[in-house]
Formats: sequence, C-alpha cells, structure tokens
Amino acid sequence: MPRPASTNLGYTPPDGGWGWAVVFGSFISIGFSYAFPKSLTIYFKEIQEYFSISYSEIAWVSSIMLATMYAGGPVSSVLVNRYGSRPVVIVGGLMVGVAMVTASFGTTIVHLYLCVGVIGGFGLAFNLQPSLTIIGKYFLVKRPIANGLAMAGSPVFLSTLAPLNQFLFDHFGWRGSFLILGGVLFNCCMAGSLMRPIKMRKTTDENDTGKLDVTSQRAGEDESKQSGCATKVNQFIDVSLFKHRGFLIYLVGNVLMFFGFFAPVVFLAPYAKHQGIDEYSAAFLLSIFALVDMFARPGTGLVANTRWIRPKIQYFFSLSVIFNGLCHIMCPLLPGYSGLVVYAVFFGLAFGMVCALLFEVLMDLVGAQRFSSAVGLATIIECGPVLLGPPISGLLVDIFLDYKYMYFACGVMMVLGGIFLYIMNYYNYRWLEKEGKQRKVEELEIGSAKELAANEENKDNEEEIRRNTQEEG
Amino acid sequence: MLHPSCTQHRTGQRPLFSMANVIQLTLLLICCDGMNTETSPSPQSDPGITTQKAVSKGQNQVIIEELAILTPQKIELLCNLIDIPNNPPNITGYWTKDGQEIENSEESVNRNNEQYILKRTFSIEARDLGNYSCNFRENEAQVTFVLDVPAIKDTRNKPVVSYIGDSVVLECKLKLKHTPNTWNWYKANDTEKVLINVTANPQNYKIVINGSDTKLTVLNLTEEDSGKYICSAEFDIKPRESYVKLKVLSYTEPLKPFIAIVVEVIVLVTLILLWEKCNKPQQDNSSAGENDVCSEQTSKLAGDENNGVNNTARQRKLQP
Repeated sequence: MPRPASTNLGYTPPDGGWGWAVVFGSFISIGFSYAFPKSLTIYFKEIQEYFSISYSEIAWVSSIMLATMYAGGPVSSVLVNRYGSRPVVIVGGLMVGVAMVTASFGTTIVHLYLCVGVIGGFGLAFNLQPSLTIIGKYFLVKRPIANGLAMAGSPVFLSTLAPLNQFLFDHFGWRGSFLILGGVLFNCCMAGSLMRPIKMRKTTDENDTGKLDVTSQRAGEDESKQSGCATKVNQFIDVSLFKHRGFLIYLVGNVLMFFGFFAPVVFLAPYAKHQGIDEYSAAFLLSIFALVDMFARPGTGLVANTRWIRPKIQYFFSLSVIFNGLCHIMCPLLPGYSGLVVYAVFFGLAFGMVCALLFEVLMDLVGAQRFSSAVGLATIIECGPVLLGPPISGLLVDIFLDYKYMYFACGVMMVLGGIFLYIMNYYNYRWLEKEGKQRKVEELEIGSAKELAANEENKDNEEEIRRNTQEEG
Repeated sequence: MLHPSCTQHRTGQRPLFSMANVIQLTLLLICCDGMNTETSPSPQSDPGITTQKAVSKGQNQVIIEELAILTPQKIELLCNLIDIPNNPPNITGYWTKDGQEIENSEESVNRNNEQYILKRTFSIEARDLGNYSCNFRENEAQVTFVLDVPAIKDTRNKPVVSYIGDSVVLECKLKLKHTPNTWNWYKANDTEKVLINVTANPQNYKIVINGSDTKLTVLNLTEEDSGKYICSAEFDIKPRESYVKLKVLSYTEPLKPFIAIVVEVIVLVTLILLWEKCNKPQQDNSSAGENDVCSEQTSKLAGDENNGVNNTARQRKLQP
C-alpha cells in the first residue's frame, strides 16, 4: 500500500480518546471559519443604508474577510509550526471576537473593512489551519472519518448562524448584533482549549527523515541542507513542498476546480428566482442543499475510511470532483422546480464529498508533519480562483443573460480538474510504488552490507583474541 | 381589436384560463409607454379625457387591471367583448363600483363587426377611487379596473432597531416609479401625527427625496424617538401613507447577552484546562502536557530511559 508520507510522524497517533474532543473543537473552528463570512450578508442592507453606500462597497466586507482568511494561511502555518495548534486557535478566537466588538462601534465603512475584514479574516485563518492540522496529529487510521466530521461544521454552522443572525438583527439592529456575535466568536477560544498538544518522544531511527517533536521545535532545524535565505524560510514554512510531486498535482487540480466550486452555491437562489420560483422555495433549495451537505461529509468520511477506498483515496477525491462537475452540467437541463430540487440534493451530496476529502487527500499526499505548511501554501494559492470564481460567473450571466452557460462553464472547469487529478494520481501512485520498491531493495542491500561488515568485524575480533591468547600462551 | 393610433399593445395570457375558453386580454393604451404611466388624450375624444381599454374574449373569466391615478381626472373605461357564442344583435351591459351597481349605468350594446363595446366616462376625484367593473347580463365575462393611488412597497413588520446617541435611516419607496408632488414624514403620537419639520430641527432630522423614494435620517436618537413614523406620498388626488416603526435601545441591551456568553466561554475554557491538569499526573510518559518545558523534560527522560535500558542490556551481554 503506497502510503509512505503518513508514517513520518514518528509516533502512533491515538486515533481516538481525546482525539474526538479535538474533532469537536475543530468542528467548531471550521464551522465558524467557513460559515461566518457568508452569514454576515443579512446585515448588509441596513449597514448599506446607515453609511449611505452602494451594495458593492458593502460586499467588499465579505470579500476582504474571505480573502484575508485564505491569504492568512501561510502566516497561520508558520505560527502552528512554531507554537502548535492550541495557542494559535485561541489567539485567532480572541482576534475575531475583538474585531466584531470593535466593529460594532465603527463610524465609517473603512472601520468595518479593517475590523471585520482584515482582523476578522486573520482571526478566522488562525482558526482554520490549526484545526485541520491537529486532526492529522491525533488520527491516522480513522483520519478520513475525523476529517469528515470536522468539515461537517461548515454546513451545520451555516444553518445555525443564518437564523441566529436574523434573530439578532430583528432584536438588536446591526450594532448590537455585531457585539453579541463577537461574544459568540469567543467560543473559538473554547474550541482551541480543547486542542491539547500531543507530545510524543521521537523514535531515533536512521531512516526516519521526519521532523522532530511536533510542537515545540522549529520545523526543518535538523535537516536543512540549503544555506542562507532558503534555510531561514524553511525554518518557518516548508517551501520545499513546491518540489513535492503530490503537492503540485493537488495544487494544479484544485486551482482548476475552485474556479467552478463556489459560484453555483452563490447563484442557486438567484437562478431559481430567475426561473420564476418564489423567494421562499428558492431559500428552501439552499436548505435542502445544506442538509444533504451536512450528512454527506461524515458519510464520505466513513466511506473513505474503508479498506477498499483508503488506499486509493486520491481516485475517490477526483471522482467526487468529476461528479460535482457533472451535476452542474446537468443542472440547466433539468426542468422546473422538481428538477432544481433533484439538482440541490445531488449537488449537496457532491459538495459534501469534495469538502470532506479536500484536506484528507492533502494529508494523505504530504503527511501530517508537513500538512501545516502545505495547507497554508495551498490556501494562499487557491485564494485567487476562490475569489475570482463567483465574479467571473456573474460576468458570464450578465453577458449571456442566461444561467446555463455559467453552469456549463463551472461544470467543465470542475470536470477538467477532476480528470487532471485522476490521471496524475494514477501516475503518482505508480511512481510511489516504484520508489517504495526501490527503497526496500536499497534497505535490503544496506542491511546485507551491514551484516557483512558486522561479520568481518567479528572475524577480526576473534582473530585478535586468538592472537592474544596465543601470545599469552 | 387593434386601435388605429396605437403602435404597441400588450397581450397577456392568464394561467387561470382553460384551454377551451381562452380569454385574451389586450390592454391598449393611447400613449404607448406601457401601463400605468401618463396617458395622453385620445385624438378621437375630448382632450381632457384619458381612455383605458380592455378586451374580453369569450365568456367566463374575470380580468383585473390596476391603474394608477395621480391627479383628479376624467377617464373613459372601455370594455370590448368579442367571440360571444350566438352573436346576438345586442347585449345589455352595466357598470359596478366596488361591487355595487352604478345607477343608470345600464345600456344596450349593439354588435359591431362581432364586437360589443361598452364604454363610460368617469370623473374621478379622491372619493371616486375604487374598483370599476363592466358586466353583461347575458354573459359571465367581467373586466375590473382598479383605480387607486400608487402603492408604497411593504416595509418590514418588525421595527428598525437603533441605539441612543446613534442615527438611523428610515426609507419609503413606491412600488412603481411614479413621482409624487412631495413626500412628508410624520411622527405618530398615540392618536395624532406630527409633521417632521426639517428646517425647524436640522440637527435631529434630515429628509432626502429621490422621486419615487424617500429617506428620513433621525440623528441624536433618544428613547422618545421610538415609535411609528409615517411617510406620506402627496399626490394631487389623495396622499398615500405607509409607516415604519423605530425602536431605540440603550447599549446595555445587547451588553447583557454579550457578557453572558463571554462568561460562558471563560467558564468552559477554565473547566477544560482544569480537567487537563487533573489528568496530567496519570499520563507522565504519554501525550498530555501543557508546558513545553515540562514535556521536553519528560520526553528526555523517556528517551534516556530507553537508552539506559539498552545500555544495561548491552553491558550485560558483554560481561561474561
């Protein structure tokens, strides 16, 4: 089974016990990170009127928050590599809570950009990466389930935050709501306190090229062979990942995929309304989507954990991406409201599958040790397509005045990404197998060479002893 | 069905109709800007009268058309009935307002090339606004013209919330783009309403009027500013009113749940960390540990222990 990357931890992850509490903490952190920027849109109309600004100016708040959350990935990775998950999540929770409290007293829209957008975004970034990283440290055998459960936080929190935000808005207006939301976000600190650092002694092993103690020591300190600038950078974040074949495959495939990933979610309700469906039924479509998503994620985790899928989990991921793309291509062909309901169900399923596996496959490729840096680098590069995707799709809708071209485009991008991932991972698996075999051969050779050397040494020792006894005798 | 002076007509098919009896409603306007806009006088009739027409085809179905009336005017409502079975030489038509038959409105309509045209001129003042229907004794067809001032878009049922010392923007908007003469804002005090005078009170109120919508900004809010604010679109014929409710809170209101949640977080975090400390002594050589220093030492110890074991084993081996 070609899975060399995951055994570099240097210890056996507990795969249970306190790990499930950590999963719960990650569930909360991931839920807030993904759901919170989307749920803020409820306040936009009132804030827009209050500051007398246009819709695009207020929409910047969400965009800046999302952009900072993705761009803050590498910063987060550096901190996690150095200090571990727990302090970073607690600081992140404090940051985002304080950001919302400060924003509730804001007097201009720029205050909101800075507080909610920049500081809030960084706070959420400090929540997202460490939550994903620590799962890799606590789980190995049951890691896909753990990932699936943790990622389920996003739809659960979105379904909860949306009505909560509406309730707060009705009772407290936007300022009071921001204040209370700041308090709610402090619960990220509680999630962070659950993320007990895991300390295991390193098993001294000549072949082990893995990094040392996972939290306290600087990454790469012992083994950086380059000199100067590169060494310094590598101490903070592992840029040698860009030479890692699996990581590059993941990156290219994901960049392709993310162009068509979020736009269909954003446009589901407007598309329904465009078809003549009333607002409540359109909103209900989103609820169906979120509900299916909620169960699809842990379900996918369970399926991915089985012994038939786990070894070839990269194929499972690429097939999910292709399935997702096909859903979008089929969408414009489905007639009426019932067609859209069917689409929402399948889309929810596909979206959940892809999200549940998104970080699991990265862990599978680079291993839990380097995952922290990998996810930071991946998110900052994915930042581009994630942010450009919906506006470009919106442009397509505006140009053609029809949603179907946008759905075709999104579907095609995802199918392309999925096919790329599938083919490249096929080769990657073969190369990994070959490399695995080669290493075994080398190990055998080294082993037999050692034996020979040891035998020679023994013979020499015996000779010496005989000579000595002869001399004495 | 086509009026000679009109270059544009709109046909609408209502989903209520069965396939057998399809009623086609054609609303022809003299001025072809579309429905509900200013209509210019018909060249064939009195320059002071605007004409609204509706065509009803076949029998059975009821057609409703909404017309926005901004000024007192004389309006001619015309119903054109076609495709009547049997095609009698004449039929009897009459008008009703709000369901009540208008006195002396009944008249005999002669057939004219398979069409039956019933028309009547109404002089519309404020009290005359309502639902006017043309009906026929021999036929179920009915066309209703709803004559009313333009409506204001529904505002939220729930009050707008703001805080003492802060400011708030209240908005009223017409459903369609008509321009009233002006907008007025009133504050409702139990039974009466008080006009909001911006010139008299410029540091507390600001009114912005933009054609079909208006915004009232209330500054330096106090608790007394809570209540109902009425926006009134002033048309020549009659004003149209709607209201927005405002609720002014003090900052202590959201502060209470905020503090409650923060306390909950602190309690939970403390409990979790205490639980960890309590379990720590039982897990010396394994995962738990908060302090870098503590656990580095434990891991060193563990490492030394292992090496120690190996060393002693080796020593035991070599010694004979």
